[in-house]
Amino acid sequence: MYRGTTSSPSLLVPSRMSSLKSIIDWVKGLELVKRGAESEIRIGPFMGIPAIYKLRVPKPYMHPKLAGMLIEQRTRKEAKVIAHALGNGIPAPRLLAVFPSIGLIVMEYIRGVTLKDYAYKDPKGALVYSREAGSILAKLHMVGVAHGDPTTSNYIVTYSGGLKLIDYGLSDFTEDVEDKAVDVHLYRRAVESTHASIATSMFESFLEGYKEVLGGEALKIIERAEEIRMRGRYVEERRRSVWRALS
Amino acid sequence: MPREVATFFSRVAGDVVREALDSAGVGVGDLDAIAVALGPGMGPQLRVGATVARALASYYSKPLVPVNHAVAHVEIARFLTGLRDPIVLYVAGGNTAVVSYSEGRYRVFGETLDMPLGNLLDTFAREVGIAPPYVVEGVHAVDRCAEGGDFIEGLPYIVKGQDSSFSGLLTAALKMVRSGAKLADVCYTLREIAYSSVVEVLERGLAHTGRREVLLTGGVAASRVLNEKIEAMAKLHGAVYKPIPAKYAGDNGVMIAITGMAAYRWGYTIDVSRAFIRQRWRIDQVDVPWYYEFP
Repeated sequence: MYRGTTSSPSLLVPSRMSSLKSIIDWVKGLELVKRGAESEIRIGPFMGIPAIYKLRVPKPYMHPKLAGMLIEQRTRKEAKVIAHALGNGIPAPRLLAVFPSIGLIVMEYIRGVTLKDYAYKDPKGALVYSREAGSILAKLHMVGVAHGDPTTSNYIVTYSGGLKLIDYGLSDFTEDVEDKAVDVHLYRRAVESTHASIATSMFESFLEGYKEVLGGEALKIIERAEEIRMRGRYVEERRRSVWRALS
Repeated sequence: MPREVATFFSRVAGDVVREALDSAGVGVGDLDAIAVALGPGMGPQLRVGATVARALASYYSKPLVPVNHAVAHVEIARFLTGLRDPIVLYVAGGNTAVVSYSEGRYRVFGETLDMPLGNLLDTFAREVGIAPPYVVEGVHAVDRCAEGGDFIEGLPYIVKGQDSSFSGLLTAALKMVRSGAKLADVCYTLREIAYSSVVEVLERGLAHTGRREVLLTGGVAASRVLNEKIEAMAKLHGAVYKPIPAKYAGDNGVMIAITGMAAYRWGYTIDVSRAFIRQRWRIDQVDVPWYYEFP
């Protein structure tokens, strides 16, 4: 966990390339908490408070220019989604600083446990949070964003008692029913695979919260989520399932 | 074009069958069964193969075994490499997909939303006048053209979740050539973006399914650059990657035979009168009960 002793460089005025380079070096020295497919997550101080440093790393199989371009685009997109979510009252981590050119997003460090871990300790309480998870996702969908990975590992039960949705790395602006249905389906699969004994009630509570916020539109999305589920195990998250052959 | 190819196929079909039997040193009488690719693919060509197979099967009273062309591409790669439970990138002129086995069948994890990768390369090469011929000595016209080229900005890279898309890339690349960009640079960048995007989809599939083995099959699998990218990606995730010879990566009869053999052992045959071609026969519609006991 975060111990916070080193002091950060001047993160507010990264005007020259040399200072960007020194920021990367400094970030790489921070405590690594998670290495994902897209990025490295570290914890460190930001202006005196603990913060999350999310650094996208270049893909070794791409031309450096292409890798750099994607890192910049995706960092920008993620920051934009988070800002959009926050602006619409969705409990996302607050943005502290964004450096698209080096793929760095500095975010509020949320103190709490994942809903996944919480559910093991307090299954009853988890149902209440699962309902809230549903309404948070519905709010996100209402403002035109699909999360892309809304599993119980990405919901944080904060120590102050609220629930927050994190990791917008795969998020996108969309009004496509399929994209939103995939989100609902991913949550379902997450509870089924990690909380088998309470999966049904977890998902039911989730749907209650989801429907409460989205109303009539929710039914269309939930119906599609059910269809996605029926398509099969790996095919399920696919956006189109037509096998394309020349004819 | 499809019709002309079909005409060619029907003209050489007899010689091909004879040559195959001769080089294997067997006669039709020695065969247990006849395997035939019924799809997916283009109708006129599939019909030639189906007609020949039906004729042989009924004349010699041999069981006829239906084989899915896409499944066969995966099976030959598994057979040659000994990698038994991989995530597979299947790239060809007519298909681009990432597949892996789950609960009885190959499932499609991701694919192209519009045109297949091979089609992208061929169409671009044709439009800018560097092909046909598309492949010379195993090297595609776009690969040849990319030599000496460098990465330039301005072409779109599209990976949406688990799928890639190439039609916007093709349009933008052609536009760039017409407005005077150096052809070698456009070839290089087009290839870099197209290959990187399918490898990224493959990478996500690898992470999602938790597989430890990676395979590449299909006509585009011969590309050295694509092979290098997949190798680097696999290494990054501690997975094993083994390439297959170009001869068996592109369309070939051995892959149909070997898959037919497995299917036959598991009792799959089809009545000659019902052996119709299926142009859009999807890989995830085929049961693969022999998966864990193959070959």
